[in-house]
Amino acid sequence: MEKLRDLVKKFTEVAGPSGREEEIREAILRSLDGYVDGYRVDKVGNLIVWKNGRENKKILFDAHMDEIGVVVTHVDEVFLRVEPIGGMSPRYLLGTGIRFLVDPPVYGVVGVEGESIEEYNKNLKELSFDKIYVDVCASSKEELKERIKIGTFGVYDSRFRESAGRYVSKAMDDRIGCAVLVQFMRELVDPRYTVYCVFSMQEETGLVGASVAAYDLQPDVAIAVDVTASVDTPKANKRMAMKLDAGPAIKVMDRASISDRGVVDKLIEVAERHGIPHQMEVLILGGTNAAAYQRTRSGIPSATVSIPTRYVHSPHEVVSENDVLNTVKLLKHYVEEAFD
Amino acid sequence: MYLKELSELSGISGDEGEVRDFIKSHMASYADEMWVDNVGNLLILKKGRESDKKVLIAAHMDEVGMMVVRINEDGTLGVAPVGGLDMRVCLGKRVRIGDVHGVIGYKAIHLQKKMEDKFPARRDVKVFCGFKNKDEAAENVKLGDYVYFTTTFEEKGEYFSGKAFDDRGGCSILMDLLSSGEPAYDTIFAFLVQEETGLRGSSVVVEQVKPDVAIVVETTTAGDVPELEEYRWATHLGDGPAVTFAHRGYVVDPRVFQTIVETAEKAGIRYQYKRRTAGGTDAFRFARSAYGVPAGVVSIPCRYIHSPVSLMRKDDYHETLKLMQLLVMKGEVKKAWRN
Repeated sequence: MEKLRDLVKKFTEVAGPSGREEEIREAILRSLDGYVDGYRVDKVGNLIVWKNGRENKKILFDAHMDEIGVVVTHVDEVFLRVEPIGGMSPRYLLGTGIRFLVDPPVYGVVGVEGESIEEYNKNLKELSFDKIYVDVCASSKEELKERIKIGTFGVYDSRFRESAGRYVSKAMDDRIGCAVLVQFMRELVDPRYTVYCVFSMQEETGLVGASVAAYDLQPDVAIAVDVTASVDTPKANKRMAMKLDAGPAIKVMDRASISDRGVVDKLIEVAERHGIPHQMEVLILGGTNAAAYQRTRSGIPSATVSIPTRYVHSPHEVVSENDVLNTVKLLKHYVEEAFD
Repeated sequence: MYLKELSELSGISGDEGEVRDFIKSHMASYADEMWVDNVGNLLILKKGRESDKKVLIAAHMDEVGMMVVRINEDGTLGVAPVGGLDMRVCLGKRVRIGDVHGVIGYKAIHLQKKMEDKFPARRDVKVFCGFKNKDEAAENVKLGDYVYFTTTFEEKGEYFSGKAFDDRGGCSILMDLLSSGEPAYDTIFAFLVQEETGLRGSSVVVEQVKPDVAIVVETTTAGDVPELEEYRWATHLGDGPAVTFAHRGYVVDPRVFQTIVETAEKAGIRYQYKRRTAGGTDAFRFARSAYGVPAGVVSIPCRYIHSPVSLMRKDDYHETLKLMQLLVMKGEVKKAWRN
């Protein structure tokens, strides 16, 4: 079986901003070949895979395929203007570079406007997409136009690294969730309940994919597998507590949802019974697809299991390999005991 | 074209009845089925040459405006915006509340301090209707009454001007399409309520009609004004229909986007991209409600939307109509659906 590390590397290096998930969908589907009882791609582009259970209940797990990115809104002489897709910050773009989704790939570097030192410093301080431009290093407008157009999408240009039990990459949000679910499906044999895995599109823009998958599948419980902030760094936010290597984070609340109490209690119970390290999570910002599952149709009991991640939405998101393995373990046991 | 009549009708969000009745009375003879749903959307089914797929075409009936929220002791009225309305552009404008006429007044320049450049706070904006006191005002106006701009429609040279082009422009395009013959596929023409207050009407449409693809016809901000550098323009008047690739909450399905662009290119229709991603449309709701539907957006560029008067180029309107005709009536939209 393919090593977890290789799966994470493969998934994180694919460029798939919201609305441009074709390639990552293909990669996920290929990696599940032979490990599922069925799959389909729905009207909006979610990939839904399943394994049939012995008993008559349905559990849905969700990880979103899309990552944050940019889209070209203006092509100047030889410079571009871009706007964010999802929660992309202009700060992280400085010094990082952008990889545009064209074949062969085009790379861009980001500069800041400023016609005086004062103006430049002011723009740096109040950085916005109106103050930055992208230089794709073309020597003429003609050359540029053939490569990039208005409406071309781009993502961070950064690579996967593995170092001492850590994975580092762009798009760990939420390709690490995708990798967890793929690994989980590969290891899952003859599940007690039917398991659906939704690899959802456009979470970063507005929970688009999850909203329709929930309507479609009507599961008995839905669990989003996503990243959460890890604050075990120097002078990090004092109002949160999640850290690397302490196991999957069972979310109690974030800005978009409060997890179903029953599901949370069950997750804790399962983790304790099987000695799986875990931590509780309260995130004071952000949200996950659980918010969409929770309020679709007549309501689905929903929760989130998170992989603690440093520097979320940056080009170098850091996770712990152990946390990833323990998340897979937790989900596997949960499936057997979810409704006991 | 019904833009003149539509523009002069009253239909702030939640008060779309007059617009709906107008569309109903003019479109009834073209409809195979027509119904008003529980929230007030007007939905019209027009049978196509083929019935294996269903297309949804939508425009919203509502416009931005104001509502009476307070009757003051002196007989003036306090108002609040309904939808995204910049109160600064409302000062000095004539308004109508039912049969009552008024003006949004502010103290004359003579009474202002020198160099006073702050605009009044929302709470200080008042409508003067000539009532001598609170009691007289209360006899004529109720809290919750809608406050309308009185702008009349004008046609001059290459331009149309008037109020509520966002989105009566889209409504007019839909009516032109509906009355122009048989669409390629069974098509739902949806005239929606309460887009401006949060994409509300559109949230119940997919469940009712189960379309395979949706296209929203909007009127969008031009931004091609001297205060903005060109790279900040969202669209430019005279460059034809604007095609959206991404906006707030939703990246347009790539197949729908490509289908619209390729249809325009093949037919030699001048088009442009919507070049800002701020602002959302009903496409967001369509994409994420019920089973979901791939949705796209085509817009007529328009200057000064969400103000008492907006400006549209005639050729942009006609090019938008031409593009929609190819997509819907000729059936080019078929390249957009998944499965």
